[in-house]
Amino acid sequence: MRLRQNYWTEDFILCYFLLMKVAIAQISSVLGRVDKNLDRHLELIEKAASQKADLVIFPELSLTGYSLQDLVPEVAIRPDCSEVMSRLLAASRHIDVVVGLVEERKENPGIFYNSAAYLSRGEITYLHRKVFLPTSGMFEEGRFFAGGREFRAFPAGSNRIGLLICRDFLHYSSSYCLLADGAGLIIVISAAPGRGIVNENSQGFESSRSWELMGQTISYFSSAYVIYCNRVGLENGVTFAGGSFIYNPDGQLQFKAPYLETDLSTQEIDLDLIRKARKNRPYKRDDRPEVICYSLGRLLRKQDED
Amino acid sequence: MKIDCQLVTRVLTSFIREESYKAGFERNIIGVSGGLDSTVCAYLAVRAVGPQNIFGLIMPFKDYDQEGVRLAEECCRLLGINFEKIDLSPQIEAYFSRHPAEQPVLRGNKIARERMSILYDYSARLKAMILGTSNKSELLIGYGTIHGDLACGINPMGDLYKTQVRQLARYLEVPEKILRRKPTAGLWPGQTDEDEIGFSYEELDQILFKLVDERLTPDEAIKTGLEEKKVRQVSELIRKSEYKRKMPPIAKLSERTVGHDFLYPYDWGK
Repeated sequence: MRLRQNYWTEDFILCYFLLMKVAIAQISSVLGRVDKNLDRHLELIEKAASQKADLVIFPELSLTGYSLQDLVPEVAIRPDCSEVMSRLLAASRHIDVVVGLVEERKENPGIFYNSAAYLSRGEITYLHRKVFLPTSGMFEEGRFFAGGREFRAFPAGSNRIGLLICRDFLHYSSSYCLLADGAGLIIVISAAPGRGIVNENSQGFESSRSWELMGQTISYFSSAYVIYCNRVGLENGVTFAGGSFIYNPDGQLQFKAPYLETDLSTQEIDLDLIRKARKNRPYKRDDRPEVICYSLGRLLRKQDED
Repeated sequence: MKIDCQLVTRVLTSFIREESYKAGFERNIIGVSGGLDSTVCAYLAVRAVGPQNIFGLIMPFKDYDQEGVRLAEECCRLLGINFEKIDLSPQIEAYFSRHPAEQPVLRGNKIARERMSILYDYSARLKAMILGTSNKSELLIGYGTIHGDLACGINPMGDLYKTQVRQLARYLEVPEKILRRKPTAGLWPGQTDEDEIGFSYEELDQILFKLVDERLTPDEAIKTGLEEKKVRQVSELIRKSEYKRKMPPIAKLSERTVGHDFLYPYDWGK
């Protein structure tokens, strides 16, 4: 991230634009082969850094592949002592990195999380553990992973960032928690399969629409950037849809990666748009988390009584 | 039930290319019959990996489906793929001369399994992954021979109803003669799928779409105006044929058993 001086020609007022370059790595992973995936990550991190990106984002479970089943324990990473993590941290000295991994904690061995790590300046800034584990139809995450227990925004530079993993984002309460916590950037990493072929001339799968709909809605009503990084490729006959995107804080689509194809795109985002959007539409200012908390608390107490 | 043919073609060609490559194959082999499913599959495969990497096997039995054989040859020439014709008659007749069977289904199943056996042999000889051609309509009602035409390396066609395969065929510009043919498995002379199933693929697919894709119960499907007798019949066919869509059950004894709780993905390490 860097500070650039500029003139706001409209008002002739000197102001500062905060510009940030974000690279979205819409890739496929080799299922169960952390070694091969790590090499690919390091190569792309370097490439993104050479494009002067401040941040590079990889999809959900990018280090391992998605449909792991009993491979989960075999590919798990202990962030405190893993060689894989050390190498990623070393690569994060000059560029921030978001990766997807199977996480196992030293203090809680044998429990595995579907996690997203934010790495910056050689350190793990934040780890988010996927809360909503889809376990129905073609999904079986609840059989193999433990669920996370928290949504929290964290500081990165002058921003607050929130991390979500795939299905987390389709529950709008997750994004609300991040808004209440002041996130100006909501980063969603995903391994969303493409489903639905009945609509003609849609370019992509019907299922992609739900992500875009939520991206537009959340970005507008949270006055936040929503950056969605989905994977591509095939696992066991299932095609991952791609179609990563960036919606700006005004709910406008700034960038859309192609459906189904590998892509590494770097986009410049203007963090001052968050301020402007919040000034123009004060949803964040007028938010009442204490009312929401009270209402949810009452609801939960009532459920307990029932 | 109309499909986005461009998207479907894109997904299925990637599927053929990637899944074969992951399994270590650069080539594909298809049993071509001159019917719609195998022809569409061949068209997709040619788009996926190029004609030089596709091999067609035509396997007639006696003179059961001469038109099919002719069309299959025509299709292979048109696509520029290598092919071979193997007459199944001697080996099948040799078997039935020692173990006679009159029922057409027994003879039909034997023919289907003989084709499978030759496909797997050629798959190994040519180092080519077998592409299955069973469509979603057939798979759901169990209209296929277990370890016969249902057997394959990968199946690009299995999530498309027959009427959707027809739509895709038009998009891929499959010859009109093949598009217009009455579907047949070529298991006995004059056999057609629709006579055997008892109603048309249009009717069948409409019922299947309601029951499977829209997840309606048979009663709910009937309320949408579909014929009760046919809905009940299809629903029963789905239930009775589940065994054809699964690996056989393994008797569980230990803590960790193949097929129960030894759970690894098909694309493990690929």
